[in-house]
Amino acid sequence: MFKKFTQEEISGQNQVKASVQRKIRQSIADEYPDLEPILDELLPKKSPLIVAKCQNHVNLVVMNNVPLFFNVREGPYMPTLRLLHKYPTIMKKFTVDRGAIKFVLAGANIMCPGLTSPGGALDEDVPAEAPVAIMAEGKQHALAIGFTKLSAKDIKAINKGIGVDNMHYLNDGLWKTLTLN
Amino acid sequence: MAEKLKPVEVLYCAVCSLPAEYCEFGPDFEKCKPWLIKNAPELYPALVKEESERAAEQLNGLDISSGPGRTEAGSSTSEHKVDEEVKTLPGGKVKKKEKPEVVVEKVVRNKRKCVTIVKGLDMFGIKLSDASKKFGKKFASGASVVKGPTDKEQIDVQGDFMYDIVDFIAETWKNVPGSSIYILEDGKKVPAG
Repeated sequence: MFKKFTQEEISGQNQVKASVQRKIRQSIADEYPDLEPILDELLPKKSPLIVAKCQNHVNLVVMNNVPLFFNVREGPYMPTLRLLHKYPTIMKKFTVDRGAIKFVLAGANIMCPGLTSPGGALDEDVPAEAPVAIMAEGKQHALAIGFTKLSAKDIKAINKGIGVDNMHYLNDGLWKTLTLN
Repeated sequence: MAEKLKPVEVLYCAVCSLPAEYCEFGPDFEKCKPWLIKNAPELYPALVKEESERAAEQLNGLDISSGPGRTEAGSSTSEHKVDEEVKTLPGGKVKKKEKPEVVVEKVVRNKRKCVTIVKGLDMFGIKLSDASKKFGKKFASGASVVKGPTDKEQIDVQGDFMYDIVDFIAETWKNVPGSSIYILEDGKKVPAG
């Protein structure tokens, strides 16, 4: 999704009003309860929160010129990989086997067999249509952020086709966008 | 308040910006190698070994060809994924198709303004003028029947409704099966939902 993301794709940046800011904080806190204690540090109530609208209905939540979260249309907010690397425990994790890393880093969606093979692992009770962190066999850090198409159970049962949509991965356009101005 | 999460420090490669452990899958592993050997030797023991071997080679003036071969073979495979340029419409856009299908396409004009183009609705026996009126009403925007390339009639809807319009078509005209609705994304036809 962010394969060719550049600053030019941002069609408008707005400092959002307090009520919208509250709403965003709330939905992030709901989605990632573990993040709540430090949410005040990430998104201080006082400093202005900026939402950047991009093409294809993508919104970036920007604080101090650093993109922290993104969402698509009205979907859930997802942290950027740099943020996830700092707080790796906040998301449910799927692990892909070593053979899949190359493709995931090229932007491919995550196929079920890569998750169910011996190198892969699934967190239990992940529903369909939920954000997950994609880890890799033998690596410590996440390599992508995905949005599940099937629940963890179904991935195991069906074991075929796309299991997780790849939203954001290492070295894609958003990763390279360190700061916005 | 629960215990505070401590931010984890991640070692990022200075060359390719990926976390050091992913350098081997990065765009240019070769260039990262010197940095890795200096900063993250524990992650790539093979590399360090190779480097010291090479240093030993230089010292001794020996000619070894078998030693450093294996890590280099691994890195070169990642290179040919870059040339993924999409060929622009290989003439096949207007081929006479027997199978009726609806193609939804988005055309960007003026950077951030789009037009959603729906083709092929007439093949299902739908009156295009009626359809355009329905689109206009649903999406609160201009929708008109336009003569497309080679006299095919199509509907232009102002705005980006690529995904919404698919649902709307499937809902409004029951005789259009969802499986014959396609979305045209950078020259590729993708079956919609």
